[in-house]
Amino acid sequence: MIEFEGVSKTYAGSDRPVVNDLTFNIKDGEICVLVGPSGCGKTTSMRMVNRLIEPSEGRILIDGEPNTSMSGTQLRRKIGYAIQQIGLFPHRSIADNIATVPNLLGWDKDRTNGRVDELMDLVGLPPDQYRGRYPAELSGGQQQRIGVARALAADPPIMLMDEPFGAVDPITRDRLQNEFLHIQENIKKTIVFVTHDIDEAIKMGDKIAILKEGGILAQYDTPENVLVNPASEFVQSFVGGDRVLKRLSLTRVGDVELEPPTGNGHDLPRILEEWSLRDALSEIIGAGADRGVVVQNGDSNGSSSGTITLDSIREISHGAGTPRG
Amino acid sequence: MDEFMGVLQRPDFIGNLILHIEYTVLATVLGILIAIPVAVLVHRSNAGSTIAINVGNIGRAVPSLAVLALMFPVFGLGFDSALFALTLLAVPPILINAVVGLRQVSPQILDSAKGMGLSGLQVLTGIQVPIAAPIIFAGIRTSAVLIVASVTLATFIGGGGLGDYIVEGYQRNSTAIALAGALAVAVLAVITEATFAGLQRAFTPKGLRIAQKRGRATK
Repeated sequence: MIEFEGVSKTYAGSDRPVVNDLTFNIKDGEICVLVGPSGCGKTTSMRMVNRLIEPSEGRILIDGEPNTSMSGTQLRRKIGYAIQQIGLFPHRSIADNIATVPNLLGWDKDRTNGRVDELMDLVGLPPDQYRGRYPAELSGGQQQRIGVARALAADPPIMLMDEPFGAVDPITRDRLQNEFLHIQENIKKTIVFVTHDIDEAIKMGDKIAILKEGGILAQYDTPENVLVNPASEFVQSFVGGDRVLKRLSLTRVGDVELEPPTGNGHDLPRILEEWSLRDALSEIIGAGADRGVVVQNGDSNGSSSGTITLDSIREISHGAGTPRG
Repeated sequence: MDEFMGVLQRPDFIGNLILHIEYTVLATVLGILIAIPVAVLVHRSNAGSTIAINVGNIGRAVPSLAVLALMFPVFGLGFDSALFALTLLAVPPILINAVVGLRQVSPQILDSAKGMGLSGLQVLTGIQVPIAAPIIFAGIRTSAVLIVASVTLATFIGGGGLGDYIVEGYQRNSTAIALAGALAVAVLAVITEATFAGLQRAFTPKGLRIAQKRGRATK
């Protein structure tokens, strides 16, 4: 657990804090997304966890211990760190980049090599092909994958991620986000994730901390609750006018109760189970229908598990208490 | 032609050639030993870097002969004076390149290094210096070639070296003698240039060479 206790940061020579009396907890195994407009102190807040920045007031506890109980360097070796510009070391091979923290911790060669291979497989870059390559030989998306693998290398319980998928095109970003969520299901890290993009926050976060200018915590809650009950006008406008649609994007088609298939449904749009309700809504409206046939995979003759109707989507969007997928 | 060959066969020729090389090696090594630590000390500070680079540029603008002339009242005539002056000439290119090289490593790379728990020294030796190595080496190469040429001036303060023959050639109005000295210096300069070009390449980490070839911004 990470506990912020009345944490403030005011830089020397400034009378206005960039982070103002921040108090909240991040539970083990959760992704907490810090989100807000520029100048809201989200990155500063994250960087105080591993003491790249020291707070002016308050303290941060990690598993009950103040994070000042060991040297900053020691602390940082125990916390994964991945940033937007990736920061891969251009003069080191991919394997050496990933091995950075294990080498700092003095792991033996076999253990480090085994871990590097394991992580490269995990992020989908086959070690036999990529181990000896250099960052400049990789695409932006591949570099971001390596950045994440490097942050995971010593299996730290906590990860700090500052817009880790920021430097790639939207399609690649979407894929990297999905891959990472999938990885997180198994590794269950406690993650502080910084982004300026509310859609990414809603997608990635178990909890979202919305910060406003001056580093004030405007709301800290689940994505669901932030969308349904914005705590203030600021949150409402930050979340955007399409918050109902955003909420639909939280639920997978496969997670809602479907109606039984009707007729042969040949003229109805096909909806994939893994799509979000938002995508399903778009598809149904786009096809000029009032319902769609839900199928398990892209295969057009895949078995249908039911139909989803506009009415049922409307009902869910009214907050009928659908559990989050 | 006989006069030309005669110079090369003189008993003191090898001695002066070795002395010339000795000056070059010593001045370059001393230049490195002075410039690199200074660059390491100042590169984190904007003001310090600006001062170092400007001092370096002024140093480069001062004519070699003037530096030599300024030294002999202090150290007298001879080897010490010449070596001191040559070292002063060697410092600026190395200093400028080292400061620029260390500073141009991207803040993101430094941030991720620090964020993963590298100590300040580990960031410097493991990240900054290797990434800056090609630029630092380019500075050393410039200095070494500059020094090879400048050692010819050591003769004016009794420092010896291949410059002796060039001056002798002028004094005795013999192009052949002057040419013998000048050609020897030219050959040394070419060898120095080639050696350091090789070293520069050898000290450029493979990942950076690939990045340069691909024209990617990895700095």
